[in-house]
Amino acid sequence: MTENDRTIAVDEIGSPGPRHPSGVTTLGSVAARSAATRRPADLSAAAAVTLEHVSVSFGRQVAVRDVTLELPARQVTALVGPSGCGKTTLLRAINRLHDHTGGRVDGSIRIGDLDVYAPSTPPELVRGRIGMVFQRPNPFPTMSIYDNVVAGLRFNGIRRKSLLKDAAESALRHAALWDIVKDQLHAPAVRLSGGQQQRLCIARALAVYPEILLMDEPCSALDPIATAKIEDLITALSPDVTIVLVTHNMFQAARVADRAAVFLLGDDRVGELVETGPTAEVFTSPFDPRTTAYVEGRVG
Amino acid sequence: MSDQLSGALRAPDPALGARQALVRRRRGSGGRVYAAARWMAAGLFAALLVSLVVVMANDASQAFGRSGIGFIWSGTWNPAANEYGAGILVVGTIVTTAVAMLLVIPVGLGAAAFLAEFAPRWLAGAFSAAVDLLAAIPSIVVGLWGLIVLSPLFAGDVEPFLGAVPVVEWFFHGPAYGPSVLLASVVLAVMTLPTMVALSRTALRGVPLADREAALALGATRWQVVRKVVIPGARSGVAAAITLAIGRALGESIAVAMVIGNNPSIPHSLLAPGATLGSAIINQFAEASPGLGASSIVALAVVLLALTVAVNLGGQALLRANATRRALRGVESK
Amino acid sequence: MNRFRVAVAVGGADSVLVGDDERRVLGRSRAFVQDAARRSLWRRRLAGRAGRLACALALVVGLAPLVAELAYTTARGVRGISFGFFVHAPTPPGIPGGGISTAIVGTAQIIGLALAVAVPVGLCAALFLYERPGRLATGLRFSADVLAGVPSIVIGIFAYALVVRGLHHFSDLAASFAIAVLMVPIMIRANEEAMRTVPVDLWEAGVALGARRSRVARSVVVRSAVPGLVSGNLLAVARGVGETAPLLFTVAAPTAAMTLLIFSEGTEALPAAQETAWATAFVLLAFVFALSVTSRVVAWGLTRRAR
Repeated sequence: MTENDRTIAVDEIGSPGPRHPSGVTTLGSVAARSAATRRPADLSAAAAVTLEHVSVSFGRQVAVRDVTLELPARQVTALVGPSGCGKTTLLRAINRLHDHTGGRVDGSIRIGDLDVYAPSTPPELVRGRIGMVFQRPNPFPTMSIYDNVVAGLRFNGIRRKSLLKDAAESALRHAALWDIVKDQLHAPAVRLSGGQQQRLCIARALAVYPEILLMDEPCSALDPIATAKIEDLITALSPDVTIVLVTHNMFQAARVADRAAVFLLGDDRVGELVETGPTAEVFTSPFDPRTTAYVEGRVG
Repeated sequence: MSDQLSGALRAPDPALGARQALVRRRRGSGGRVYAAARWMAAGLFAALLVSLVVVMANDASQAFGRSGIGFIWSGTWNPAANEYGAGILVVGTIVTTAVAMLLVIPVGLGAAAFLAEFAPRWLAGAFSAAVDLLAAIPSIVVGLWGLIVLSPLFAGDVEPFLGAVPVVEWFFHGPAYGPSVLLASVVLAVMTLPTMVALSRTALRGVPLADREAALALGATRWQVVRKVVIPGARSGVAAAITLAIGRALGESIAVAMVIGNNPSIPHSLLAPGATLGSAIINQFAEASPGLGASSIVALAVVLLALTVAVNLGGQALLRANATRRALRGVESK
Repeated sequence: MNRFRVAVAVGGADSVLVGDDERRVLGRSRAFVQDAARRSLWRRRLAGRAGRLACALALVVGLAPLVAELAYTTARGVRGISFGFFVHAPTPPGIPGGGISTAIVGTAQIIGLALAVAVPVGLCAALFLYERPGRLATGLRFSADVLAGVPSIVIGIFAYALVVRGLHHFSDLAASFAIAVLMVPIMIRANEEAMRTVPVDLWEAGVALGARRSRVARSVVVRSAVPGLVSGNLLAVARGVGETAPLLFTVAAPTAAMTLLIFSEGTEALPAAQETAWATAFVLLAFVFALSVTSRVVAWGLTRRAR
């Protein structure tokens, strides 16, 4: 990488307002280093997902309030913050999982120019364009590895065996799992280790070629080696898929995310979006003093 | 039946160790009378079990002694000729139970799926309470209704109708008197259904939320989630439900006795009258000749006991295996 | 027919295609999948609607017979109800003005005696299981589970073999014995469940304060578990009241209990007898339902209080 490339990756052109350098240098250097080794972000890319004044509430209890956020296409955006701030709740609002949990979503969420919550928008089609990986690996326990990977394709009406096999191999390669499972495709999925199961779930999500991949703390149930493998995966996938990663681990965000959005608990115990921007800047010189407090470990 | 379920699903008690420690420390300092009462109760109960087996085996010994173990499958039950064999009755029991299960399993599973997956919460709760209440209807009342209302209905309309349907008519040929194997199976199905619905519903609800969400997130419709994830995922729980329902059906005798026609011979058609172990015990008890006759009745009860206990044990084992598997996965259910 | 074929081995370490080529293939695959999803949606939703309908139908079909039976019993049984019905003794066939008082009293006596034995035994055995966990308790619990699954007809024959043969005549005692044997396993399990829902700290607090184990068990655990105990025992009583088979083999006279009366009158061809049977069935049904509903209300009150 040349000097110029590094500069482009780290600086943001036309930053509004003064920044407050935080006292944390390790986090910042991790972020800077990873940004430098990543291929330059395509700054002209349109936003894949646009959230405007989105709030999610359960009954009278508001979980997260008034979030306005743009998730750029083909980049990794990390939603960071301590647990309980509504990051996961917000994530699930994007693919309409709250239809089944009883949560009410206010505000507007758009994918490109499609209004996710319009009455005329079929939720199944929205979810078919968005993949999701959950906190704990959840392969379908009664299905084999192969059946798990192609489950999404089958749900969406694709039956042709040859297509399924090709897509399965492609997805498993993308998840760096093909060499491990290619000889045991019909073994039960639950026989894999935790890290392998999570990669299987990633392959399952990738098999339907989603535009957006939502990842809800995918590494929290895994050991450090498995975590590293999945982080590598995220970096490798990012040119093809928009990734939204919820994590409470700031270093993970520094390692893999192009952009970071910080969520904290407001005074009334409702989650809110505090700051967003390129990862390195958010961690080294954030705008909002609350972010500084969080990054320096004084809060959360 | 819900206590049957909760009994087998009892999770390991987290406070067990603490309680055991306390008990050990306090041994001997409890009230004497109270401790004695508890031991007596336990002892009484154990004695009861032992005496059940012993007494019945003893009374049945005459019949078994005469025909040997072959009593269980030997063919004729003809009191007039002093011939006692349970074979036909066992066949009758199996046939009525099998036909009843053929009706109960799809209907029960479908109803359970509706309650567990598609009904709004208040409706599901109301219906479940209704199902439990309906399960409490005494069998004599259902038997009365079966005898006086269903039997003429079957003889007049249902059975001739079934005899005219092209393919299946082979099962339904012959004159239709009313009391028949078919009627008994239907009555059994009607009585066993609430159990099946309640147990299956619990099994379906036990499928973890995570599995359902994974399917939804891939773009599946709700029905696809139910068909491809929930029902397969509840396989073992449903198997346990079916086994326990079979156990209940095997034991149901009074209603069957009232509508099956009391004819201990191989039924050539479902429309013919037949007999089961339970119905034979009830219908033949009054006229059983002392000695061999009475002993044979008790022997029939022994066979029924063995059959029912075997099936129930299997069902309990299935329930426990299912619960352990869920606990090991450590996931939250719906 | 769309003969688009997704490229093999796209992406990953051994990627055949790179850069823009890869992106193009990916884009086409993506469009293909989304198109397939969109086209199949109406079919999938139709299947869903049909499936939902089938399941709803299954619920209706499954419960309808029992509901019809309830309605019919009520409609026909109510006709025979009058004050005299409860108060008068049965009259010989053909003579009007009879009632079922002997049957009601008989049922009450049989069940009452059975309860007098079953409730204490069930309570004490459950306390035994609750307090002294161990192999013996596990064996006992297992036996209770097995016994609970034994058909009532078998228990009736057992009572016949033991008590009727032993005493050489039929008796209410034999019937009570049979019903008690029937109820005890159910009560043991229900009681133990009710006790287990009591928070352990209550029990331990009592013991730690130095109270005797018996006092602790009685005053603390039993008292907090009372709603659950009552609920479980009421259900067992409802079950016992409705049993016929055990009575058939232990009691001689059909007028000794309501269920026997239903059986004997119902199987007779005489219309008057059948009317009696329906009326008795209605009374029995009403009583069993009252017990079940009360049991549920008590249990519901328990969960309300716990919150």
